[in-house]
Amino acid sequence: MHFLFVDRILALTPGGVTQGIKHVTPDDYYVCLDEQNRRYFVPSLVGETVGQLAAWNVMLSNDFTKRPVAGIAERATLHRPVYVGETLLLEATLDALDDSAVQYHGTARVGDEVVFELTGALGPLLPMDDFIDVDVVRAQFNELNLNLNQPDKLSDERLLRAPLNESAVDKLHHVNALVHFDRIIDHVPGVSITAEKCITRAAPYFPDHFPKKPVLPMTVLLECVMNLGRYFVDQLIFDKAYRIKCMQRIKMNDFVSPGTVLSAAMTLKSQQNGELVLSCRVSSFGKRVCLLELVMVEVREIA
Amino acid sequence: MMNVENVYPKVQEIIADVLVIDVADVSLNARLIADLGAESIDFLDLVFQLEKEFSIKIPRGQLEKNARGALSEEEFESGGTLTADGMVALKNYLNEVPEEHFTPNLKVNEIPMLFTVETFCKLIIAAKATQPAEAATA
Repeated sequence: MHFLFVDRILALTPGGVTQGIKHVTPDDYYVCLDEQNRRYFVPSLVGETVGQLAAWNVMLSNDFTKRPVAGIAERATLHRPVYVGETLLLEATLDALDDSAVQYHGTARVGDEVVFELTGALGPLLPMDDFIDVDVVRAQFNELNLNLNQPDKLSDERLLRAPLNESAVDKLHHVNALVHFDRIIDHVPGVSITAEKCITRAAPYFPDHFPKKPVLPMTVLLECVMNLGRYFVDQLIFDKAYRIKCMQRIKMNDFVSPGTVLSAAMTLKSQQNGELVLSCRVSSFGKRVCLLELVMVEVREIA
Repeated sequence: MMNVENVYPKVQEIIADVLVIDVADVSLNARLIADLGAESIDFLDLVFQLEKEFSIKIPRGQLEKNARGALSEEEFESGGTLTADGMVALKNYLNEVPEEHFTPNLKVNEIPMLFTVETFCKLIIAAKATQPAEAATA
């Protein structure tokens, strides 16, 4: 299953701004169902799409000798889900680029509405040939970079509400498993939660991420953490409902290869002014893999 | 006048924040890798945070470049290992690092193992001192 999300590059200034689009369609694999049975694109993958757009610019700028990998992000803000039938208008701006790292920020919009923002992203650059054949990447880029005009705004209510057939339901179950931890190991409601996930080589993102060095995409891990955070907060005795506002201080310390067992330890760091901050450390056999904070905001009172 | 003493408290705070450790664990002579558990991605994070806090630009590899001083790359290292002249230049630049940490046949990629909290304080002071001058001549 492809793990490449930019459908078209619309404009690209090497070392500067890149614009592109992604349609979220019934054919997309990485979609989930909300409480009203509406299908939406896995939220962290909106960030992945913005990151991939920036990566195309970086790779073109260094003549495909190096590729950026996940490193640090100051903040990733999720304004709302992106539903099947909508088109993401993407923009990524490289703030600094040298031969060892890239610093960038980006946004995703649906029409004029900003649905996702990424700030303070920093990615180390590593030799392309360690991850994928240079010719394969060049061919992928040439296929994307057609410089077509921006499409008309697309938002099809019929797609949002279309009934699901059985295979679509199976697919949703599969995606749901990919973006959740496998099991809860320890849980002290309102204090902490620990969960575990085994990373299988059979996961559908590995062929693209990457052919020569399969590693878990950071955004898939972040989605698992977000889902763990939702579960943790749902179990609290609050008279309010919360939604995820943003992830912040994200840092990926190490690659996660197939066969790894990940353990995520999450604690409630603070609770004030209608905002919860959850701190999460993901590790593998005690070695730090990823750190981040999840910020959740109060959205309504529960009747 | 900016000096190590007045830069240190903020650097200490930022390093603790980046490494998710207590401020009290960060001392001026602590080595970032050996004593504080920093990894390569932490250096990227740290430089980014210091740049923001002190409004400076620290090009990647600046510490190694500073350590080399007036020496050419060939004079500084051979086949990835520091030359005798390179070692003298490095010790001269990292004069806050105790002698016993400079191992014989030190490799260039092992230099970050020597960096202490004070090394980063000095880096900031140097960047602050040079960058307004560069801006003025730009």
